[in-house]
Formats: sequence, C-alpha cells, structure tokens
Amino acid sequence: MKTYFHVDMDAFFVSVEELFDPSLIGKPVVVGGQANQRGVVSAASYAARKFGVHSAMPLRTAHRLCPQAIFVDGHPTRYREYSGKVYQVLKSFSPQVDMASVDEAYMDLTGTERLHGPPLSAAHRLHDAMKRSTALNCSIGIAASRMVAKVASDQAKPNGVLWVLPGEEARFLAPLDVRKIPGVGKVTEKNLQAWGVRKVGDLAALDEDFLRQHLGQWGLALAGKSRGMDAGGWFDGEVGDDNTPKSISHEFTFNEDTADSDTLESTLARLSEMVARRLREHDLHARTIQLKLRYSDFSTITRAHSFDHGTQLDTEIFQQIRALFRANRKANSTIRLLGVHASGLKPAEGQLNMLDETNTNRWRKAMSAVDRLRDKFGEDSVSLAMGLRGRFRERVHENPAGLPGKTAGKTPREGGER
Amino acid sequence: MEFTVSKTDLVRELNFSQGVVEKKTTIPILSNVLVEAAGDRINLTATDLELGIRSSCPARVKKQGAGTIPAKRLLDYVRLLPDADLEVKLQDNQWASLVCGRSRTRIAGMSRESFPELPQMPDVLAQIPVGVLASMIARTIFAISMEESRFTLNGSLLMLKSSGLSMVATDGHRLAMVEHPVELPGVTSPFRALLPRKAMGEILKLGQDSSPDAMLSFSGDENHLFFQFGQRLLLSRKLTGNFPDFERVLPKDHPHFVALDREELRKSIERVSQFSDERSRAVRMRVQEGELHIHSSLSETGESEDSLPADYDGSPVEIGFNASYLLDFLRASSEEKVTFHFKDPNSAGELRPAANGEPGYKYRYVVMPMRI
Repeated sequence: MKTYFHVDMDAFFVSVEELFDPSLIGKPVVVGGQANQRGVVSAASYAARKFGVHSAMPLRTAHRLCPQAIFVDGHPTRYREYSGKVYQVLKSFSPQVDMASVDEAYMDLTGTERLHGPPLSAAHRLHDAMKRSTALNCSIGIAASRMVAKVASDQAKPNGVLWVLPGEEARFLAPLDVRKIPGVGKVTEKNLQAWGVRKVGDLAALDEDFLRQHLGQWGLALAGKSRGMDAGGWFDGEVGDDNTPKSISHEFTFNEDTADSDTLESTLARLSEMVARRLREHDLHARTIQLKLRYSDFSTITRAHSFDHGTQLDTEIFQQIRALFRANRKANSTIRLLGVHASGLKPAEGQLNMLDETNTNRWRKAMSAVDRLRDKFGEDSVSLAMGLRGRFRERVHENPAGLPGKTAGKTPREGGER
Repeated sequence: MEFTVSKTDLVRELNFSQGVVEKKTTIPILSNVLVEAAGDRINLTATDLELGIRSSCPARVKKQGAGTIPAKRLLDYVRLLPDADLEVKLQDNQWASLVCGRSRTRIAGMSRESFPELPQMPDVLAQIPVGVLASMIARTIFAISMEESRFTLNGSLLMLKSSGLSMVATDGHRLAMVEHPVELPGVTSPFRALLPRKAMGEILKLGQDSSPDAMLSFSGDENHLFFQFGQRLLLSRKLTGNFPDFERVLPKDHPHFVALDREELRKSIERVSQFSDERSRAVRMRVQEGELHIHSSLSETGESEDSLPADYDGSPVEIGFNASYLLDFLRASSEEKVTFHFKDPNSAGELRPAANGEPGYKYRYVVMPMRI
C-alpha cells in the first residue's frame, strides 16, 4: 500500500504577488497582463474567482466579468524562485518528489511513518514548514493513489489537508462531478453526459468494455480512475521515475497580429534561443525542431526539420526555423502566434560533422560562456543580435487544465511555461 | 524510317537507356528513346536533361530517318520476343510498327522534333582505363550525401592530372578518397569537376559491359562531362558549386593505429550492430592492450560484444561510430588487411587498406565519431 501526497499551492501566482505587494491581499487580483491587453489570465485570486474569472480566460473577458479587479503583469522569475523554495521544503520531507508543474507536486511518503509519524500529522508538519519557509499556503491531499491524492487536495482547498483512507476511494469520488477527474476536459465531459454520466459514481457503474469500445485506451484509463486508481498517461509512471522532458517548446502570441518579417524573424530568434537554453540546461540535444505558425484567422500550420545529429545551439536551431518559416509562410500574411518546438531529445549529440566541426565547436564554447553570463546577470543579459529585437515579456500559466504532468519537467524551474 | 535489327542487340542497348529516361512524366518526350537509322547502324539516345546516353548497334537500314518511342514500353515488349530479327517501321503518324516472326505490335511514338539536342563531345582530354575509373567509383560512391539540399555533396569530385586520377566523396560525416597513378599524358593542366551520383552509377553499368582493360575517352566542356565507351557515350551535366575544402579536414596524422583482418572486422561489426539503434547505428570501438572491442547496447532490447586481436599497447581509447559507415568501407575494399587509425573520441578516425593492398590505389576513408 502506497502513501502519496499531492501538494498544491493555493493561488500560487497571486500569493507570490501578494508577498511583493501586500496591498493586494484579499482583493480581486488577476495575474497575466493588463485588462486591455491581448492574452489570457495566468491566475486569479479567490476574490476574483467569485466573479467567474479563471485561468486561461482572455484578459478582456476577465475585465468584463470583474471590472474592479486589479490586473498585474506576471513575473515568471519570481514564480520560479518561489517554486524552487517550495521544492526545497518538499525535498526535506521525501526524496521522491515530482514537480508536476510550477505550483504542485506529488510525493511518495510510503514507509516514512517512523520518521514523520502517521500521514495526517506528517501533512500538518509539512503544511507548517511550507508556511514558515515560503510564507505561502498550500493544500495537501493524501491517498493510496496519486489520482485520488490530487482530487483530495483540490477538495481540501484552500489551506487544508484531506486524507482519503485506503478502501474509501470510490465512496469519496462517487459524488464528485466527472470534471474533477484529472484529464477529463470539456470533450470527455460532453461525451459522458450524453450517456447520462455526470458524477464519478455514474462513471464507475459503467461497463469497462463499453468505455473501451467508445473511448479506446482512454476509456479503460477512465474506468480505472473512477475507482481511484492511477491509470493512463502520466499516472502510468512512478514518482521519482526518469521524467526527462520528451520535448521542449516556447510560443509567443503577439499583442497585435503582425506581418512584419523583421519582427517575426527576430521573435523566432528569441524563441530559438529560449529553446536552446533549456536544451542545454537539461543537457539534451534535439534531433527534430518544429515551427508553429498561427495566422490571424487562427489557421495553424506546423513544419518540422530533422537534423542528422542532435543540437542544442541557438544558431543552428534558428537557422533551420528561419528556413522553415521562409519556405512555408503565406506571403504577406499577418501572424498571431509563433512557436519553436524541439523533440527527439537525446543526452548526446550523436554523429559529429566533419566539415563544420571547428565552427560548431566555437559556438559550443560561446554558448556555454553565454549560459554562465545569464546565470549570473539574468536571462536578458546576452542574446543573439537577431533576438534582441524579438524580446518579449514571458507569459506564465498555472496549470489551467489541471492535468498532472501536462507541463512536467525535471526541475521546478520548468513548470508553468507553456 | 525502316530497319531490321537483332532483338538481342536492341535489348542490350535499350537496357542502358533505362537508368537515364525520365521516370516521372513531367516532360513526356523524356520518357522516350530517340531512334535514328542511317548507314548500317541505328543510334539510340535517352536523356533526362541531367544525364544523357547515346548507344548504337548494327542494323539493316531500308529507309533512313528518326523517331521517338516510349523507352520502357519498348524494352518491356521487345524483351519478351524470341531471339530473332525485328523489323521496325516508323509511320508518318509517329506510330512505330514492330514485326518479329508471327508477332506484330504498334506503339504510339512522338515526333523527334521535340526531343532535346544533346551537346557534342569536345576533343578528348584523356584515355582512362575503364577498370580504374569503375573501381574508384565503387570505392567512393557510398560516401555521397543523400540529402538533396546539400547539392555540392550529391556527387564526387573528380580530379585529373597528367600523373594520375583521384576521386573524393563526402556527406559531411565521412569522406572517401582514392587516387591512382595512371598516366594521363593528354592532361596538360589539372582538371576538376563534380560528377553527379547518378552518372557514377551509369558508368559502373557501362563498365561492367566492357573489359576492365578497355579504355574510355574522357572529355569535358563548361557544363558537361563526357565518357565514351566504344560505341556508347554517356554525358552528364556537372554539379555546380564548390566542393568543400577536403584537404583541410583530412587528418594529417593519427597517433595510433591497429592492423585488422578486414573480413573479421566486417563480420564483428555486422553482428554487434544488430544491437545498435536503428537510426543512429551507433557502436563503440574500444582499442585496448592486445585487442579491439566492439560493443553496442539497446536498453530495451539487448547488447552485444565482439573482440578482435590487435597489436596495441597504448592506453585504452573508446570511440563511437556509425556502424553503417564503417561497413560501407569494409564492403567496398577488397584487401585482406585494413588499418584503423585514431586519436581520441572527438577526432576523426580513418580506415585504410593495409600497406600491401591492391597495387596502385591509394585509398583513405575518414569517419567522424559519434558522441553516444
């Protein structure tokens, strides 16, 4: 029998903002940008949520729903810093910690009774330690599966602890809306409603074969989840499993759609730099890079290029991304969003090149110097000349879909970027 | 046009046109072979505008003239005829009628007017032994890049001097270079050109039909290269652009080397590489005291190891390589012993035939390592 904790920070971004500006405490606060800007809500305070504001909602909609809300820009560096502090507190309780995003984590506390005492008292001590070290509130769900622990922490919010005793999972889940199950979104909910399934209990009563027939593997996973088991996608692994990223990507939505090639290409340069920087942080080399391009009419294309070796160099990635962009962009079209995506990640670069090796080696050295400068003086201290003009304020999101592992990364710095 | 030709002769010559005629029908006339009858021969010409081949065979010409016939359809049909004489007659409406024994066929042709004119062969620059050129091609062709975007690497660099012939091919990961001291007295100033891979393949085919001691006449103009094998002429457009400065990347010297049995090495690498990643084909070569270890592993599948005796007493060095690259060389060379020259895991390694290899040829194969 396992004992899992799911620790979820309460209104994380807002709480961090409150630490820097106490006048925000208790007020409706929306993090993500100004009311008249394009973009989406990264996080909303509990006071703002009462008006129906939630993350991933367009900022302008949030303003309509709650005109008196205070809109603040997001500060990714602050959140990363606090996420790191949260991670340190968790790490002191168990070596098995998986940050599922910037503000939530799964912990395996199986077999720690002699060290921490029974789960509930361990949770209370963790709760206190968190408050003491970070001045932030969190909610903790405890259960024999990560799935139930996650649902429990949600039910415990804000600032609570909830332990679902082993054997009681089905009874605990049955009265909840199916939407409470991680991974069930609008689409699945609609499907299920068509079959008259609204509560988790209704889902548990369905025939497994029926679910498999209609939803495939995901149907089977759902059946398992409805009974409180870890199943499907991210839950198939174990806490502490190797979870090196499968892909790394950065996207940017322009405040105003643009057709200006200079702006577009310098934004691509900036995105390529960000992707390359994270590849190097993880010590990974990408075999495949992909360009994502969304036009003003929301039509979206992706185009990929595969290298015959792995790369983590800004210049190499940007060169190919720019070539893909020039070859595939509709002439003079206005563009809403650009994205750079790296996959096929391997720990070593593989085949070395005979003709460009000297040059590549120079870039490798230059980039490692650049990384040291950035570590010391901040991300914006050095940039490709092309990327200088493409600088933008990084946007952040708390995990709006509530999918564990959706933005999972190895280190807490990773979480939340989308 | 009207002539009689031996079926066997016609099939043999048509076979050479098959590698050249356009497979895609973007320009329909390029799928056709041009047939010209005059004197006591017929000439057959095919081209895809990059490559052209002209060959000929004896025929009894009743009425001279010319026309074009779909090359593949013609060969596919004629091949099925009995070994006998074939009468070919081109009608005014461009249909060709074929009569052989009791078989009669009509094939829709096209007028010769729209068939592209091939350039004329300029003065012969050199006489090259067919066997030498063919074996140089066989030793380099596999190292040519398959990536079409790297167009200057889609062929070999061919270099002629009065004192010899050399050929270099690279795909950026490995480089094959072969030199032969054949005397080419006609070459007064050094000649360099990029020979496309497809032309190299056709030269190999034409070479197989000639005796190795036979000579071919070589020539080149600004845009084309010409290879005349007796009655058959292959011409190819040159690749444009600059071949990389290969002399810069050729290792000057390597601190270490081991001599190995070529077949043993080939078999070992073939075995071990069964357990290498399908895409990268990475194997680890570890040279240590008295032996060469070859090792490969796939975390989910298994691992494999082979070792060969080697005369070595330096400190151990382990280098990753793409097994396919090494095998390409080991399959292309014919010598009993090869030497493997190396420095460290980040520097290029090199394979060569051991000192007393096939006389005449100087053969070097440089391979960049992999970081695994």
